[in-house]
Parts: sequence; C-alpha cells; structure tokens
Amino acid sequence: MDGIHPTGPAARGLAWATALYLVLPILIIVPVALTDQRYLSLPQDGISFQHFRTVFASPEWLGSIWQSFIIAVCATVLSVVAGTLCAIGCWRISRRATDLVRVLMLLPLIIPSIVYAIGLYRYFGPLGLLDRFAGVVIAHGVTGIPYVVITVSTALAAFDPRLEQAARGMGASLSQTLRWVILPRIAPGIFSGAIFAFIHSWDELVMVLFIASRDVFTLPRRIWDGINENLDPAMAAVAVLLVLFTTLLLMADRALRRRSEG
Amino acid sequence: MTAAGRPGIGWWLLILPALLLLLVFYIGPILQVLAISVTEPEPGLGNYERIFTSESVQRVIITTLRICLITTVLALLLGYGIAYTITLASPRAKGWWILAVLVPLWISVLVRAFAWVTLLRRQGLVNNTLINAGVITEPLPLVWNEFGIIVGMVHYMVPFAVLPMLASMREIDPRLLAAARGLGASRGQVFRQVFLPLSKPGILAACVLVFIFSLGFYITPAILGGGKTLMVAEWISLQILDLIRWGLGTMMATMLIFAIIATLVVFSRIVDLRRIFGSGA
Amino acid sequence: MSAAGHALALRGLTKRYGDFTAVDDVSLEVAQGEFLTLLGPSGSGKTTILMAVAGFVAPSAGSILLDGREITPLPPEKRNFGMVFQGYALFPHMTVAENVAFPLRVRGLSRADRDTKVRAALDLVQLGTFADRLPKQLSGGQQQRVALARALVFDPNLLLLDEPLSALDKKLRAELQEELKALHRRVGRTFINVTHDQEEALSLSDRIAILNHGKLIQSGAPGTLYEAPRTRFVADFLGKSNFLEGTVQGADADGFVLAAGPDRLRVRLPAGSAVPAEGSRRLLSLRPEKISLLSDGEAADNTVDGRILAWSYLGAGFALRVATPSLGEIRAVLPAWQAAIAPAEGLPVRLGWSADAAVPVEDDAP
Repeated sequence: MDGIHPTGPAARGLAWATALYLVLPILIIVPVALTDQRYLSLPQDGISFQHFRTVFASPEWLGSIWQSFIIAVCATVLSVVAGTLCAIGCWRISRRATDLVRVLMLLPLIIPSIVYAIGLYRYFGPLGLLDRFAGVVIAHGVTGIPYVVITVSTALAAFDPRLEQAARGMGASLSQTLRWVILPRIAPGIFSGAIFAFIHSWDELVMVLFIASRDVFTLPRRIWDGINENLDPAMAAVAVLLVLFTTLLLMADRALRRRSEG
Repeated sequence: MTAAGRPGIGWWLLILPALLLLLVFYIGPILQVLAISVTEPEPGLGNYERIFTSESVQRVIITTLRICLITTVLALLLGYGIAYTITLASPRAKGWWILAVLVPLWISVLVRAFAWVTLLRRQGLVNNTLINAGVITEPLPLVWNEFGIIVGMVHYMVPFAVLPMLASMREIDPRLLAAARGLGASRGQVFRQVFLPLSKPGILAACVLVFIFSLGFYITPAILGGGKTLMVAEWISLQILDLIRWGLGTMMATMLIFAIIATLVVFSRIVDLRRIFGSGA
Repeated sequence: MSAAGHALALRGLTKRYGDFTAVDDVSLEVAQGEFLTLLGPSGSGKTTILMAVAGFVAPSAGSILLDGREITPLPPEKRNFGMVFQGYALFPHMTVAENVAFPLRVRGLSRADRDTKVRAALDLVQLGTFADRLPKQLSGGQQQRVALARALVFDPNLLLLDEPLSALDKKLRAELQEELKALHRRVGRTFINVTHDQEEALSLSDRIAILNHGKLIQSGAPGTLYEAPRTRFVADFLGKSNFLEGTVQGADADGFVLAAGPDRLRVRLPAGSAVPAEGSRRLLSLRPEKISLLSDGEAADNTVDGRILAWSYLGAGFALRVATPSLGEIRAVLPAWQAAIAPAEGLPVRLGWSADAAVPVEDDAP
C-alpha cells in the first residue's frame, strides 16, 4: 500500500531540514580537515593533506590510536563472551526467573556514565586498577555487555527453542548444542553486538577521564584535550578518520545482516 | 513441560560470568557512590540538606532541568518529522532516511561536539560566513553558552527520539490511513485524528528516553558550554576532580539516579518500557 | 438512507508498475444499484481495479466515470465512496460509535446530526448496543459490520468491498453473506466487491467479472458464467470441470460432433451460436454434476466406459474419478439417490451425458 498516503509538504520540509541538521555538521569536518591553512577553516587556495600527515607522523596520536584499539578489542572480547552466554541462558530459562538479570543488564544503559565513572575512581584505587590497561578494559567490557545481550537476545527471539530440545533429545550435551546448534544460528547477532561493544569502548571518554591519566591515554582522551586546549586542523583530520572508521564498521554490520537474512 | 524439558543448572552457569562481572564491577561501584553520599564528610543527610540551602546546587539543578526539557521538546519535534517521513516513504527512500538517522547515532560524540565548535565559535564557519555576506558585523555568541549546549544536545538526541517513535509508527496499519482518506478525511485530518493518536506510545517512549539520557549527559554540555553553563554531570565532575568534595558530588550523582528511576517508574504506568529499550541499541 | 445508486464505468483502465502490467485495458460497466463482484486469483488485478476506483491507485491509462462524469483525477477523499477494507481497518483508538462517526466528523456535521446518523447506521447492522466498545472488544463478524456501518453512514455514491469476508471462518462467512445480500437490497446502492472466493461471488452478486493476469476474461450473471463459460479459465475457476479436446466433425445448424480419439461426442449448441469450422480443434467443458451413471441398457447422447479410479463420499452424494481409455480421467459428481451402485475402486462403470451438457470453451490455459 505504498504511496496511498504520501507525506505532505510540511512534514517533508521538516524531515529534510532535520536530516541536513543531523548530517551536514558531520560532513563539514571533511573540508576543514583538508584545509591548506594552519588554523580551523575551509580550504582557501586548494586542498592539502598536510594535517593528515601531521597525525600520522605524531607518536602521540598513533600511540593513542593503538592503545584505544587494543583496549576496544579486549573489552569487546569480554563483553561478547559474557553477554552472549548470558543472553542464551536467559533465553532458555523462563522469562520470569531471569527478569531481574535482564533489568540488571540494562542498568549500564540507563545510569549516566558520570555516576559510574566517579564510582570506579574510588573503587579501583584500592584494587590498584587506576591508570591501568586492565582497569579500562574491565570498565569498558562490563558496560559493553548490554549491547551484546540486546543484539543476541533479538537474534534468539527468532530462533525456535524446539531445535535446542531436539538436539538435546538426540543426545547432544549442553556444550555440543551450544557449538553446533545455537551459536551458528545467532552468529550475526553476536557479530552486531561485537561491533556495538567495540564502538562503545572505542568512543568512551567519561570513564577514561576518571580512571586513566598518564600511562593509559586513549584516543577520545587525546581528542578531548585537543578540543579544550588547541583547536587545530589536525583535530579535524582525526575526526574524519574516526568517522570513516565508524562508517566502515557499520557497513560491515549491515552487509553481514543482509547476507544472513538472505 | 516435562522434567527433561526443564532447563538444568548448566543454563544458569551461562548467566554467571556476566552476572558476576556486573555485580562486582558495576553494582559495586554504584553502591559505593550511594554510600559515600551519606557518609562523607560525616555520616548523615548533610549533603542532601544542601539541595534546600545552597543556591549553587539549586541553580545547577534548575539549569539542567530547563535544558533537558527544551532538548526533549525539540528532539521530539524534529524526530517526529523524520520518523513520520520514514514510515510513509517508499522502501528505497526509507533506507536512505534511516541511514541519515543511524550514522550520526554511531559517530563519536566527541567528533560531533568538535564539529559544532568548528561551526559555531566566534571565528567559526557560521559567523565567518554571515560576516562575509554582510548580514552581521559582530560575531554572534553561538557557543560556550546555553544555546550551543542545546544545539549540540538536540543533535545528539534526535536519533534516540526517532528510534522508538519509528518502532511504534511501524505498527500502524497503513490501511487505516487509506481508510480515513477513503472516508473523506483530508491529509491534515488523517494525521491529526488517526496517525497522531496512534503514534502516542512512541512519542511517550521517545520522551522518556531522551529526557533520561539528557539528564546525565556530560561530554557535549561540557564542550559546548565552555564551563560557563554547568549541567549536573559536569558539576559532579567538578566537585570530584577539582574541588575534591566527594560528599556533594556523590549526593548529586545519587539524585541523578533517583531522578532517572523516578521518571521511568512514573512513565512505566503509561508506556511499555520495552518500547524504549527494545529499540535502543 | 435514500435508495439512489450510481452507475460506474471503467474505460480501458490500465495500471503498469514498471514492466509489470497489473491491470490490462479493462472496460466494464456497473449499473445503478447493481452488486458486482470482481473475481480472480491473487495477482489477477482485481484489488488494483478496486483501489483505482477508490482513488488510491492512479491508473496509467484509461478513465473512470461516475454517472458519465470523469472522476479519474479526484483524490480518494473527494470521491465520496464507502469502502470496507480487508481486515476492516477500524481505528483501534476510537469506539465503535466514533469509528462510524468519523466520516461525518471530517465532513463537519454537527454533533446532533452525527449522533442520529450513527445510531441509524448501527441499527442497520444490528450493533446499536455496542456503540461504546472498542474494536478489539468485538468479534470478527461484529467488526465487519462496524466497517459496513462506517462505509454506509455518509450516504456514499458507491460501496467498495475488499475481500470483506475473507478473515472470517466458514460458518460465519455464510451467515454474513446472507446479511450482506439483504443489506444491499435494503440500501439499494451500487456495491462493488472483490473476492477470490467463487462461492461467495456466485451467491452474492448480480453480476460477476472474472479477471486473470490483469485482463477481464468474462462478465455476466452468475448463472450465465457457470453454464456458459467463455474460456477454460472461467470454467475451471468457477466450479470444477472436465475438459475434453477433439476435432470438429459433421457440424450442422444444431451443433457438431467432436472426435476425441475413437469417441464421437455429440454437442448441441444453443440456438444462434456460431458453429465451429469443420476440422478445427475444440475444447469442451463438461461439469461433473451433468454426468450420470448409466445402468445396463440405458441410453444417453454421449456415453463412455471406464473404471472407478477413486471415489469419495460427500454426504449429499459421491464424487468419482473415472479412468477412461480414450478421454483420460473424468470426474463425476452423483447425487446419492442416483448412485444405484456401491462405488469401489476398479469397478467398471458407464458414464453418460446429454448433448447440451458439454459447452465449447476457448483454451486460454497457460
């Protein structure tokens, strides 16, 4: 019934204005990153890649990018393993018994990260986890679990529980059922969750501001300092790289989902 | 269900790692925040008295509520326009519209704040363009004030407003719109009397989501407020990192949690919360 | 409600979606007060025609006329047609009375006028006591009647019904068919109904238009279509039929003889029909209920011997599948009183039918 009731000009106008408001500011950083000037501005006499060269020649930026990447990978592994197992357990055990667990899993999405960050600041001190790689991985990994639980639960909702019962009925053990029946079916959901958990850690700033200072200095932390101290076009170059990276990850997710949906 | 069909202990073990991680490394720190708020600098509710006595505490609460309300209203209005257009668009156009909503959602909040600073500061692209065009002679104060915060926050929140509204609009049977037109209703009447009332659950869910996300929002207000307009989250960080006043900081953090839970409880009576978080990720 | 029907005409109506032609040059007249059914399998274009009449689909070519006036460019809300949607499309957030009042509200009627008309419309469908319920609190049949009341309350020029009974179970469907028919007589309006259910079409309609692949195949009174289908598709879609193919021999003014293998089948044509050319290939449609089982020595215009391949008991009679050496498998339906034998698989039988039982049809099978 498409087109039976098309939108009116007012709604279309509002939607277009909003879409431009959402997308244009993000696109504007591209010409700014390519400016030939030494300060934040649009290119004047032609485009230049000098600011990208600055970023790639800077051990600070490269160090932060590498550190952020390793932290995000480790945190993602933690989130995916814990989150996937939890989602499968909650799915198989009755809904009511696991309601509390589900609510608990949503808390990191609901409670502002500033509250968690100041809590961690005090909590990690005695544990010796402040400004430690492991501390940041734990913080990001734990708060990434909800993304995995949600995507995997969504994938499981479309999965017939009788398949699991049939597998067990044919003599498969729990771990065999998991490996051969359940996991292959929900792999796209796990992958989506992994991408979201990765982006969550990769972009996370608030916790890092409190629990890391010198030894651990992630990319968002360096951008934050850059915005607050020296606004130069190299920042725009970093921003462009980040946008490209995020877009690539999302496109990988889309492509994978489309393939699994056939 | 037979005994064989009942889930065994093995399934509970699957939940255990996540549960332990969350209890030890999430609930633990949060509970500690609640505890500090009534124990430091001395045991008692002294920190909470400041809500009634300290003008600066009251100011930050009122500023936060004002900005959150304005943000929620604007994000809902803009988000509704997009969600409505997506719902009625052809399948191909739908994909592009959704992309326009989802890409900003996943782009780093820092990148977005940086983009707004680039655009809105005194020598920024907007002011420069307007001055070169001769519209203004003096740069407009577009950022490092409440205006800048709201521009950046609405930009961040619109996708969160769109998702629940879109989910609820998808449930509206397009035949109802056709039926209304067939029965003689104009486009405006179809919208006001059929579409709008049917999309109300989505509006409420979006309202809750945007409001609670706005309440504790840190990065965008901190960058675009320039330290002059303080919202709750930045104020908390100031208390802890710069003034080392743990009692006050944790008190405000506790208030933040309670405000969010209260909002959820109130709205859970009129809207299914699964609507909010089912589509949140 | 005044009894004033309107006449509708479609002239060369065509709707293309890219390369796909959903409706192909359909011309059709609907008389004042007539109950017309568009009948066809899914994808035959029947719903597209209805949507074009309602104004939801813009035709690629052709025109739609109401009482001779062109209405093709009018938007749906300006056509003043009542429509009952598939699944009813009742507004879930409005009560029954509010649903029925909706078309009156958008036309700016006063509350008092609205109340009077809504009550009359609900009484018409015997739902007066349900005015304050929400649609989800009603049964399927009740929802269907609310949709009817809503479509009739504003004195529409035309009532369009899109598979109005398809969501109901079989028994309820039969009941509502009766009601719909009675309602049509009472309100005296022009009804256009779309369905894929041939029984519904036969029992409800004054006239049926049969569609396939976007083309109008045949239109006419139910009895005409059933007794004298123009093509194989019509004979097959409207009821069941046996198809016998052969070469025309010995044609005369009265009819002809069809040679199918060794068999010679006598066909009598109604007076005035064209006689097929000698030697041409023709297809006959023979309804199963027109075949009788012959006892020893009994004669008929046409006879064929065979063995029962399978049989089933229908309550009112038997259905037989009979294998014949020359005509292939033939289906026959026998009333119980006529089945003098106890059917059994492999039993040799003799089938017979009169010369006017089989009618020649065009072979439009794919």
